[in-house]
Amino acid sequence: MIQVLFVVIAAVGLAAALGTILARNLVRAALYLIGFFFTVACVFVLLEAEFLAALQVLVYIGAVAILLMFGIMLTRNIQGDDPSSAMSVWKVPGLAAGFCVFAVLAYGITEQKGIGTRYSWAATERRPSLEQVKEGATATGRTEAVNEMAKVVGRELMTRYLIAFEVAGLLLTAALVGAIAIAHREEVDPSAARIAPRSAQETGAPANGPGSPAIAVAAPAATESH
Amino acid sequence: MSNDIPLTWFLYFAAASFAVGLAGVLIRRNAIAVLMAIEIMLNAANVNLVAFWRYGPDRPDAGPLAGVILAIMVLTVAASEVAVGIGLILLCYRRWHAADVDRYDSLEG
Repeated sequence: MIQVLFVVIAAVGLAAALGTILARNLVRAALYLIGFFFTVACVFVLLEAEFLAALQVLVYIGAVAILLMFGIMLTRNIQGDDPSSAMSVWKVPGLAAGFCVFAVLAYGITEQKGIGTRYSWAATERRPSLEQVKEGATATGRTEAVNEMAKVVGRELMTRYLIAFEVAGLLLTAALVGAIAIAHREEVDPSAARIAPRSAQETGAPANGPGSPAIAVAAPAATESH
Repeated sequence: MSNDIPLTWFLYFAAASFAVGLAGVLIRRNAIAVLMAIEIMLNAANVNLVAFWRYGPDRPDAGPLAGVILAIMVLTVAASEVAVGIGLILLCYRRWHAADVDRYDSLEG
């Protein structure tokens, strides 16, 4: 039963991913991507990592996809043509490269190419069962991790993975400051751009009467190149 | 369970999603579409990490949740990368008035 469920979820996920890369409309591609994120969250639930599934929905769908939508809105192309798909000469090599990568990975998975004998692939037909918690006793180890994942994630981040946690915070701060610094638009004073050619026009017009059409043509050209 | 999902099924799904994302990066010309395909690849890697965590043996020195913590770190890096990437694309859009990666071909200006 759960195998059928996984096959359905995986098929929906792959269809959503294909829709993302093949959709011509960018907003439709972003919506397909949201579907893919939700499918990955369902796969996390199947792997008994429900906390990570909730985190996936909150962070990816709630922040990353919204940010991508804002980016689509702010970078509307103004030429009118459709640049969101490659020229035909590059489409076939791109698809071939993707297919070759999948072939190599599928070969590795099928032939169970591991790292020597460090991990036995024979134990992967079913997941390791969790020990049953006795009445009144608290779970330990992996049972506790799967049953109370939020608590164990918090404890692990604060004790064993503290440095990784702090470095991730530093990375997020750097990304925040960097993104603001990159996309910050300098305030251009429009009056300063208009004053200089106008003064040139004022001084040029009384000195050269018949040549004033040339000055009038030169002044808009000066403002164009400014 | 008697008929549990084998690990290789999760790995096939992750490998296929990764290949789809890679094809998307190579095919698409819009910069935002390339970012979307990169997100697909990162999600596929996350699925791989959590699958190996759940199906792997217990490792006492790495804790009971090593794969999930690593997946959370990958989530963090991916989110911050999208933020900075959108900022860069906005800047390039202001310069070239197009979100086409084939136009981003000079370092001056």
